[in-house]
Amino acid sequence: MSEAAPPVLEVRKVSKIYAGVVEAVRAVSLTVEKGQLLVLAGASGCGKTSLLKMINRLEEPSGGSIMFGGKDISGEDAVALRRRIGWVMQGDGLFPHMSVRRNVGLIPAMAGQDAARVELRVREMLDMVRLDPLEFGDRMPGELSGGQRQRVGFARALAGRPELVLMDEPFSALDPITRDGLQQDFRQLQADLGFAAVMVTHDMAEALIMADAVAVMRDGRLIQQGTPHSLMTAPADEYVSDLLESPRRQMRAISELVQ
Amino acid sequence: MSSNLAERWSELPVLLAGHMLLSLAAILVGLSISLPLGILAASRPRLAAVVLNVASVIQTIPGLALLALMVPLLGGTIGYAPAFLALMLYSILPILRNTIVGLQGLDPVVREAARGIGMTEHERLWQVELPLALPVIVAGLRTAVVWVVGAATLATPVGASSLGNYIFAGLQTRNWLSVLFGCLFAAGLAIALDQIIRLLEVAARDRRRGLAISVGAALLALIVITIAPRFVPASVFRGGGPVAAELDGGHDLADQTIVVGAKAFTEQYILGSLMETRLEAAGARVERLDNLGSTIAFDALRTGEIDVYIDYTGTIWATVMNRPEPINRHAMLAEMTGWLYAEHGILALGGLGFENAYGFAMARDRAEALGVVSLADLADHADGMSVGGDAEVFSRPEWVNTRDQYDLGAMQTRAMDAAFMYGAVRDGQVDMISAYTTDGRIAAFDLLVLADPRSVLPPYDAVILLSPQAAADPALVDVLSGLVGTIDSDAMREANRRVDLDRETPAQAAGWLSGHVASNPGDDQ
Repeated sequence: MSEAAPPVLEVRKVSKIYAGVVEAVRAVSLTVEKGQLLVLAGASGCGKTSLLKMINRLEEPSGGSIMFGGKDISGEDAVALRRRIGWVMQGDGLFPHMSVRRNVGLIPAMAGQDAARVELRVREMLDMVRLDPLEFGDRMPGELSGGQRQRVGFARALAGRPELVLMDEPFSALDPITRDGLQQDFRQLQADLGFAAVMVTHDMAEALIMADAVAVMRDGRLIQQGTPHSLMTAPADEYVSDLLESPRRQMRAISELVQ
Repeated sequence: MSSNLAERWSELPVLLAGHMLLSLAAILVGLSISLPLGILAASRPRLAAVVLNVASVIQTIPGLALLALMVPLLGGTIGYAPAFLALMLYSILPILRNTIVGLQGLDPVVREAARGIGMTEHERLWQVELPLALPVIVAGLRTAVVWVVGAATLATPVGASSLGNYIFAGLQTRNWLSVLFGCLFAAGLAIALDQIIRLLEVAARDRRRGLAISVGAALLALIVITIAPRFVPASVFRGGGPVAAELDGGHDLADQTIVVGAKAFTEQYILGSLMETRLEAAGARVERLDNLGSTIAFDALRTGEIDVYIDYTGTIWATVMNRPEPINRHAMLAEMTGWLYAEHGILALGGLGFENAYGFAMARDRAEALGVVSLADLADHADGMSVGGDAEVFSRPEWVNTRDQYDLGAMQTRAMDAAFMYGAVRDGQVDMISAYTTDGRIAAFDLLVLADPRSVLPPYDAVILLSPQAAADPALVDVLSGLVGTIDSDAMREANRRVDLDRETPAQAAGWLSGHVASNPGDDQ
């Protein structure tokens, strides 16, 4: 009898205490399956970014454990772990002194692949994020629009074929139309490539539209976890329904226009 | 081309080479210390605070003082080593500070991105942090280059040849062409190196290989061309001095190299030249080390880095033997001679025959208008008067005792370079100066040296001093003994006047003095 494959990511009762006093994350447990997008939602300072950074060991938990692919990450080399996990940041986190080609090719190049294979991978990734490699390969990040930079950011994060991608507010700096197009493109990429993803956002509408599962955090605690549908139909408490009020109002206003 | 200009050009290869070797080595070693230290300190705020404070303290020490301090720190060693060390320390701060500031000032998002995508510490430093901080670091390097090339002119008084030789010697002999030569070439070298670094940075930033290669080649060419003279025999640049010596009779000192030191004023250059001629006539090879600081020259003699130089009894008495009260001229010479030999093995060969003492001088018409002929007449006029002198005289017993004995405390003191003080008192910019009694300008500017009825001012007999090793060489002692007692005050004053006023070179004045000595063989000492 074969065991079922372990979830890509399992967060077990993880907490984070800063300077011995501030409890940023309090005993949070989460699971993310292959191909799934989990959105961590909540107001600023709720602990969602701290939790995200513990998953690739940019920060270390004060308690609990994190399993990646069934293995406890505290026993793994942090650098090797990060190379297996894609990382996309608010803004874009591109290196301003490197061309698009070098930015995207960084992870394969660090993995020791030869120049020809790196170049092949760069073209493949730029095609995938819908940027023409011939047109954009030699440009510097400063010569791109915000949406183009974020596409390059995705291409860089995915170039190492990660099983998991972590994203910290990847769309928050973009204008609404660019953001909408990128959100859809990202879900399509995820469907095509099958990686799991965890995204942090404070935008509930974004969370509801994109997520397979939403985890709502407040003051370091996980207060509700479930599908967007279950959140909308059965908010766990007043705080969650308050958070959902704004997208609801927008939805009502728009549907009134259609009628 | 005037002979002055021709002579300046002929000095250029050796001085430029010395300047370049000194600056370049100081900057390279300074860079290889400050860059790693800056990288280390950038992520350690407490270390950063400590190293930046230490570097800032070093920076606040005036360049000349830092250079001079290195001599006693290195146990009296003069020349390249102390100059290199001081300039190297000088280059550290700007590079260190800019490395730390440049690295600390990087966008935190970019730093976190580098960690988040799985770069090792090494990869982050070399691929992200240093390239992004490079413009700031290079700006620091350029500052360091300009500072060091400029400050290297101050290496002259500690015995390292540099373009500063032009400036120090020119200042003392009022040879403004020489001063200008030193300034222009030092500035030109600083600008050239600064621009080369700027272009190399542009090439690195824009990945322009062609530019990098051509600028690198220019840098290499500049280095090779400037330092080449250090690696070919000096005689190539000197126009056959040794050949002339071969023709002369004596070969007592054949194949010996004698290092002749001199302090930084006209009389010393002339006497250095005179000794050089005598020694070369006896077959020796002579190296000259001019423009040494006053105590540095003695230290260099004590450690044997120079073999011979001329000093003055009153100077040794006060600054080396630390005796506060002067004594009779002949007693001082005798006691100093015994003391130097007993304490340091230094041989004082005897007086040259003249004194170059401190004497307080006024413009003759002004002194006559006030009815002043002696220091004792001045007390009533002291309030509102000013006295000019070189920087050291006002802290020496000569001035302190004169002031106290003759009640001149109300006089204002104004320190200035000795080259300027004679003109200043002639033109009434100061009322009195601490003149050197052999200076040709006393007579030429019609100055009156005031009498010293209370014998406050010590005697300053010029004496030939030989290092312990040189003292053990009978042939050398024999050659230089020939100069003892041959130069009287009038002859020395005339030789000085020829340089300071007639613009002869020290070598030409030494030639005149040599002829004068030959026609008046001294035996009166």
